This record gives sequence, C-alpha cells and structure tokens, in this order.
Amino acid sequence: MQQSTHKTLYNTHGWIGIISGILLFIVTFSGIPALFEEELSHWQSANNPVLNVQQQDLDKALLTAQAQGFDHSTFFIQPASEVDGNIYIAHYPEDETPAHIVKINPNNGQVLPEANSDMAELLGHLHTDLHLPHPWGRYLVGFAGMAMLLAIIAGIFIHLKWRKEFVMLRPKRSWRLLLTDQHKLLGLWSLPFTLILAFSGTILGLLGLISPILAVAAFNGDVPKATEAVLGPVATITQEYAPSQSINDFVLKQRHDMPNIEMDFIFIDGLNDKGGFIKFSGNHKSKLSNLESITYKLASGDQVHRGSFVEKGPFQRIFAAVTPLHYVLYGNGWLKLLYALSALAACGLIVSGNMLWLERRHGGKRNADHTKVAKNHWLGQLTLGTCGGLVVATTAVIAASQVLRIFNLGHQQVQWEQALFWGTWVGLIVLPFVYHNSFKLSHFMMRASGLLLLVTLLADGLINGRWLWHSQGWVFNMQCGFLISALLCFYLDFKIPHVREEKASKSATKNLVTTEEQDNRDLDSVA
Amino acid sequence: MNGVKEKLRSTTSRIIAALLGGLICTVALTIAITLVWPFGDTVEKIFAGGTFFFIFWAALFYWAILAPRGTRAWLRMLSILIPAMALDAMMLIAPLT
Repeated sequence: MQQSTHKTLYNTHGWIGIISGILLFIVTFSGIPALFEEELSHWQSANNPVLNVQQQDLDKALLTAQAQGFDHSTFFIQPASEVDGNIYIAHYPEDETPAHIVKINPNNGQVLPEANSDMAELLGHLHTDLHLPHPWGRYLVGFAGMAMLLAIIAGIFIHLKWRKEFVMLRPKRSWRLLLTDQHKLLGLWSLPFTLILAFSGTILGLLGLISPILAVAAFNGDVPKATEAVLGPVATITQEYAPSQSINDFVLKQRHDMPNIEMDFIFIDGLNDKGGFIKFSGNHKSKLSNLESITYKLASGDQVHRGSFVEKGPFQRIFAAVTPLHYVLYGNGWLKLLYALSALAACGLIVSGNMLWLERRHGGKRNADHTKVAKNHWLGQLTLGTCGGLVVATTAVIAASQVLRIFNLGHQQVQWEQALFWGTWVGLIVLPFVYHNSFKLSHFMMRASGLLLLVTLLADGLINGRWLWHSQGWVFNMQCGFLISALLCFYLDFKIPHVREEKASKSATKNLVTTEEQDNRDLDSVA
Repeated sequence: MNGVKEKLRSTTSRIIAALLGGLICTVALTIAITLVWPFGDTVEKIFAGGTFFFIFWAALFYWAILAPRGTRAWLRMLSILIPAMALDAMMLIAPLT
C-alpha cells in the first residue's frame, strides 16, 4: 500500500473515531443491557414467579384481562417464554399515552402486579433511540453504526501486521504503547463481532431513512404499499360485529401451518370485528429470521398472508437475519455472553482510541519553558465523564431498581430511577471539568460501579430474599452476571495505572525502540 | 476563479465529496440497482437495494477520501452520479417491463 493511502486511511480512522467515539460508546455500552433486556426485565420484577409453563390458555388469559377492564380491540399478546414465564396482554396507544399492560400467571390465571421498575426499558431505549424523539434518535444510532463500520474498514487496512498484533501487549512500557497495544488487541479479537454489530446496527438504525428511497424505486414512493408488500396486509376495521374465533384454536392452526415458527408475539387488530386480523410472528426455529409471520381473519379463520423470509431470495434472507444477528436471537446464553464481551471490548476500543488520539497530539507537547503542557484536554475530560459516567449511572440504576423497593414508591419508582440515572450521568460528565485528576476519577468510577453492583446483589438478597445461592433460572444468571461485572470493575481498578507512566529514561528508551514505535512516529511526523 | 479552484482542490472539499457526494451517489445508485435488479420479485429488489446501500456508501466514501485532491474526489463522484441518475430517470420514465 502506498504511504499516502496508508496515511489517509490512518487519519480517516482517527477522525471518525474522534468525531463519533463518544456517541459510539453510548450506543455500544447501552447495547449490553439491551442484549439482556428481556432477562433484566424479568429480574427487575422480583414478584415474577419462576414458572414451568406446560400449557397456556390464551382465551382464559384474555378473559381475565377483560375482567380487569382491558377493553381494547387492538392489542398484543406475548405468550409465556423460556425467560419470562408470564403472559402479557398489552395495548399501545397511537398517541404518547402510557401502554395498558396486564401480566397474567399462566398456571393459575392470576393477574400479577405490574413491575414498579422500568430499568430494563430505560437502558434498552438508550441503545435503540438514545431517548431522543422518534425517529431522530434511531437515525443517529444508525449513523453511529455507519461511522463504526467506516472506522472498522479503515482499521483493517491500516493494521497490516495483524499476526503480530494479535498477541502483542507491552504493559511495562510507555502509557502510549500500552494504549496502542490495547487498542489493536481489542480491535483484532473482537473484529468479527464488531463488524456484525456495526453492519446490522446500521441497517436497523437507518432502515426507516432508506425505506422511502427504496419505495421510490419499487412503489412510486408509496411507503405504506412497500411496507405491506414486505410485512403483509393490515386489517380493515368495518365496525361490523362478528365474533372472533378462539385464540387457542388459532395457536394450534399456526403450529400446523408454520411449525417452524417460535412464536413470540400475537397481534390482534379488530377483535370481534368482521375485518379483524390475528397475526403470529416470531423467529424461525432453525434459520436466522425473526420476520416469520402468518395472518388469519379473526372471524372466519381464513389465512390472509404467510410471510416467510427464509424461503425467499438471498437479500430477503440477509434482512431477515439482521435482528437475530444483532440481538443474538439464535444460539444460547453463552453466545449472548460472548456478544456482551465483544461489546465490552468495543467500548474499550473506543475509549483507548480516543485516548490514543489525544496522546499522539498532546502527550509529548512542551511549553516554551520546556515544562509539559497540561494533559487535561477537553475531549479527554468529556470522554471520561460521558463514558465512565454512563457505566456508573447504569450500575446505579440497576442497584436502584431493587433498593428503591424499600420505600414502596409504586409507579413513582420509575421516575426516581430516571432521575437517578440522568442525574448521576450528567453529574459525572461535569465532574472531570471540575476535578482534574483523570486517573483518580477513573479509579473512582471503576470502584463505584463495582460497589453498586455488589449493593444490587445485597439488596436483592435482603429485600427480595433472592440470595445468589438460592436463586435459579435467569435470576441466577443475571446475579452471576452482576457479580462477574463487579469483579471486572475491581480488576480494572487494580490494573489501570494510578499515574501516567513516562518513559523510564532516554537511554533506556533508545534501546527499546521497536518497529512499532517507529511506525507510530513515522505516521505522526507524516500527520 | 482561482479561489474557487483552490477551494475545490482543498481537503475540506475532498471530505465534503466523501460525506455528501458519496451519500447522494449512494441514493442514486441504490435506486438504480433496485430498478434494474433482475432476480426475484419486487420485495427482493427492495432488499437488494437496501443491502447495497450500505456497501455503496462505504465504498464511495473511501473512493472519494482516497482521491489525491478535492477536484478528483468530486470527479469520481460525478462519474458515478451522472450515469446512475440517467439510469434512474430512464427506468422511472420508461421502465423496461
């Protein structure tokens, strides 16, 4: 590769990282709880019984919900799953008013109290929409994914000595070399996963933006028509009464017609209406697709539409695989763990990239009197505050989801959790600009996060009686996850240097100059 | 005139060509590929366009950014944009089928 091409790619890689790095960290780090959103949601509701569901009577569940005042004709049913053994019947209004959700125990048909905590949703929504108005947040996440993709592409081409870099970590040398090695090591080892996450995330984020472009080409700009062609028809409500058939019978019919669907959601549009539809959607049991669906008429039971992407062309299969690949809707819990570790590695990659950029530009600069210039660049402070602050705020809200139960706040707990999350994060974003010892602050954040996760486990045991050694199922898995994360925080606190390690001495350094350092210097001089 | 030339040749111009020019070209190329994709039904064409969108965007971004000068970057983008737009116009006005 020509040196000018290498230099351009190198600079592009750096600038993309600097411009989008902090946003990318927010999206990537919040992706870890988002990956376990269902499991976290199950864990945060301490009153969720661990169930072994044999059979679900959805008709009975709907009657129970209706007896509780659930009088909507358009709603979703989420049958009991392996993670959460409860049936959820939910109506999401078209305006911004809160959803009406009824949670039912499938074994005895009892209505369970609604969860007071909304921690899982809070963290999940940060990943998908950054808590910005829809669809702008989603687009921003998509653009962040695209930036990540571009940075990865340049990163692949500029790191030509990848065989050597796969195993190179020199912790005893300079701070800058440690950052360089860490950045390359994390990047190389997590490359397949970060590439998958970036590509699938970009598609998920920007699909809404490119849909009109595609609709222009294929449907003269008619987006609803294009959507219908992809996802199937929607019900036409006639207001004419026609009793709907049994949901349980429809479930049996769906299992017969599409036995390979792992049913996740049932959408009922127009209950007891002549034009009403019932749509089953879910994942394919053996292939990568979460867009499998079948739709029937509620009154007559006739099949209206059958959407199976695995039977279609290669590009439809690619799109059907995007969500399963991004959210690990295939494989088992161990694969999810591997994804989570890769996302964590990507977070380390982003932070080390930002620090490296700052180090290369400001690390060795001296004032006119040959004293070192201050190391606290605003970008470094912002990176520390935003990235470290998000980690602490996340662990704080996880701990709060259990600790706040002591105060019996009811539905107000959600507001308290949100206030705590945003308050902690904003406070920690400001802190590095006030307190300038970045190393001390990093250690404080690591310790605080580890302690908050331990507090979570303690609170779960004391308040809910769910001690780690008595837990089972996904509650046990989540608690193990918190414990391991706490230990990781303490390990990082132990390993991260307390001061910036300068090169030992000029003579020693001279002997230790490696090709790597030379490369870096060459590139710096070129830059 | 010289000032404009200088501006067009600059690194900023190259970056704008990569970001903005690349995106415009991507849109034009995506529409073209969706219109002319010969395999599968309409939905398959849509998804072919959707997949290629991101590949085109990344490829065009780097093609522009790796140009030696801003003017060359814009020329590269135009060399894609003009035929793609001509194809789009032709296919939208008088489709083959």
